[in-house]
Amino acid sequence: MEQSEVLGRMQRVFDNVFLDEVTVTPELSAKDVEEWDSLIHVSLVLAVEKEFGVRFRVGEVESVKNLGEWANLIAGRISK
Amino acid sequence: MQKSAEDIALNSQIEDLKSFLRAKDLRFYSVLLEATAVVTAFDVAITLSTMRRRARASGLFPTGAKPLRIAVVGGASLRPFADLLEHFTATLAGFEVLLWIGDYDNYIFEIVDEDSELYQFNPEVVLILPSEARCRFTGTFVDPLEIQREQADTVVDDLLELCKTVHDKSGAEIVLGNFRLPPSFDPGSARFTSLSSDYAFRKYVNLQLGFRSPSFVQICDIEFLANRLGTQKAIDDRTWFESKQPFSMDLAVLVAREFAQIVKSMRQAAKKVVVLDLDNTLWGGVVGDDGLEGIEVGTTSPRGEAYRHFQQYLLSLTERGVLLAVCSKNDHDKAVEPFLKLPEMVLRLSDIVNFKANWEPKSENIRQIATELNLGLDSFVFVDDNPAEIDIVKQFVPEVTCIWVGDDPSFFASMLQDSRLFEFRSVTKEDLGRVDLYRQEAKRQELQSTATDMGAYLSSLQMVADVSSFASIDCPRIAQLINKSNQFNLTTRRRTEAEVHDIASSPDKSAFIVRLQDRFGDHGLIAVVIGQVAGKDFIVDTWLMSCRVLKRQVEEITMNEIVRRAKENGCDRVVGVYRPTAKNGMVKELYPRFGFATIESSNDETRFGLDIDAYNEIETKIRIQEVTHGTK
Repeated sequence: MEQSEVLGRMQRVFDNVFLDEVTVTPELSAKDVEEWDSLIHVSLVLAVEKEFGVRFRVGEVESVKNLGEWANLIAGRISK
Repeated sequence: MQKSAEDIALNSQIEDLKSFLRAKDLRFYSVLLEATAVVTAFDVAITLSTMRRRARASGLFPTGAKPLRIAVVGGASLRPFADLLEHFTATLAGFEVLLWIGDYDNYIFEIVDEDSELYQFNPEVVLILPSEARCRFTGTFVDPLEIQREQADTVVDDLLELCKTVHDKSGAEIVLGNFRLPPSFDPGSARFTSLSSDYAFRKYVNLQLGFRSPSFVQICDIEFLANRLGTQKAIDDRTWFESKQPFSMDLAVLVAREFAQIVKSMRQAAKKVVVLDLDNTLWGGVVGDDGLEGIEVGTTSPRGEAYRHFQQYLLSLTERGVLLAVCSKNDHDKAVEPFLKLPEMVLRLSDIVNFKANWEPKSENIRQIATELNLGLDSFVFVDDNPAEIDIVKQFVPEVTCIWVGDDPSFFASMLQDSRLFEFRSVTKEDLGRVDLYRQEAKRQELQSTATDMGAYLSSLQMVADVSSFASIDCPRIAQLINKSNQFNLTTRRRTEAEVHDIASSPDKSAFIVRLQDRFGDHGLIAVVIGQVAGKDFIVDTWLMSCRVLKRQVEEITMNEIVRRAKENGCDRVVGVYRPTAKNGMVKELYPRFGFATIESSNDETRFGLDIDAYNEIETKIRIQEVTHGTK
């Protein structure tokens, strides 16, 4: 799965989790979105896992710097 | 992590919510309520919670009601769990919620310090989720049981003392979460041979908390919720290590929902009356058609066992002070017979405080029962297997809670058991005496029915009928109905399939069937008429109808069709025949109701006549889809 396709599906998840409109881009990270605190992060990770049918290992998501890297992590996991 | 059927249904509701939100459409609220009532998946629950907050931000909700002030404290990170808690409490219990959330594992300080923000917040309800990590035995498995038990009792003492402190300082009602049991096999048999294992220790503490909690403490039984879900699914170690979440997210949804239920039940009494349908609800089959021997209840068949089990549960409800009433479309004498004569019936007539078996709308009967028992309709639950009956009650007596049990009796008992409607927080002597009290009250009163807007109801059913002459392909089904119908059957003349074929092709007969569908589904072939042309007379040799569509105006469209066919065949009079049997008393007055006059009457048969010119076609709410204008 291409990064762009993953990001497209992530947009749907973001639309459901965030109160404000957030446009998904590869460069986007938590510091760019006021609403995106450590608490909403928990919901986001679980919703993303469900959307893609993947399970991240402990600490894995915290190590990604932006959505592009996160999308690559997901894409790599799906192709395995 | 497959998408479940629930998700798919909820997805379309979420799309609706989005468009209602954009259009500021107030239907938003009822869809949100429906979706919240059934959601189990965490991500969907979070989405619903986000939708609700968006609606509030855009001013879609009327605000201004005095909010319920809820504080949540505990030994874990309390968000996003508390967001769910707010969502479920606001949506399901119907409160505006003002939330205060304690810091991670800071609850002891927050409770003990008189100047803490907790007390400044002035909470009305406080949820305490104590640290699980500290609910364990700190010695070893070789320590004597007495020492282990002492430590467990100390944990219980400390927790109840904390609850008391909050209550004394704030006056708030306390909801105390108990402890999940670990899902791992370790440490083997030591798990249950002493209190040294976390498993046994927490199980003991949970039981003691239940036994010893004072009246201002409600236990939120997290152990039970986790067991119901599965202990492995209740724990998510990764989210604990990463962000100190108290539960797996699926359990978080259940706990949030349970909290809402507790808050709701603190302020709302349990239901007092269950109004029961009979045929296919308390027993299998239709007593009016199948007879006493034909209905299924008892240990002779699997379905009978299921109905018996359901009756046993209903009987156990009466022991808690819940009243049972009957509301059935039946002749009264037939309806009571199983209660009096069938040994397999668990429920006896004396268990039923009010028995309405007649042909009036159920909504009216339920109003009547409420008046006679002198109880509010909002304490009533109505149980029926027929969705149309559920719908009429929902429409005309919206205060009543309706349970549609469906068609598999093995689920009936558990549907009521999971309905949360009959949970008493404490059973008093008064509750138990109530059953007798109301039974007497019902006997004293006998009141007139009031009128209901049946026209509006019938319109809302969107009924469509198909009236057609006998066709070969229908003959087997026509013969079946002719040989099965007992109650709405004017002459009870039985016929073989071959005879039905003969009638279909006989030039001096004009025979037709009616099919009916409504927005709940297709009832199929529901009425049969055989007319005999005899000179200027059109004799109604056979007229029968399935009782499930009684009082839906099928009688009226049938009569219109009889008159139309009589005219078509050059007749000027319709002759109706009624032959009484043990079962067809309900149609004795059918012809007089349509303006027929008695021609002759004997014990076996009454003949009625109607002058066709005097007949005005009756307007109905049924759309006639297609009339096959046969010329026979």
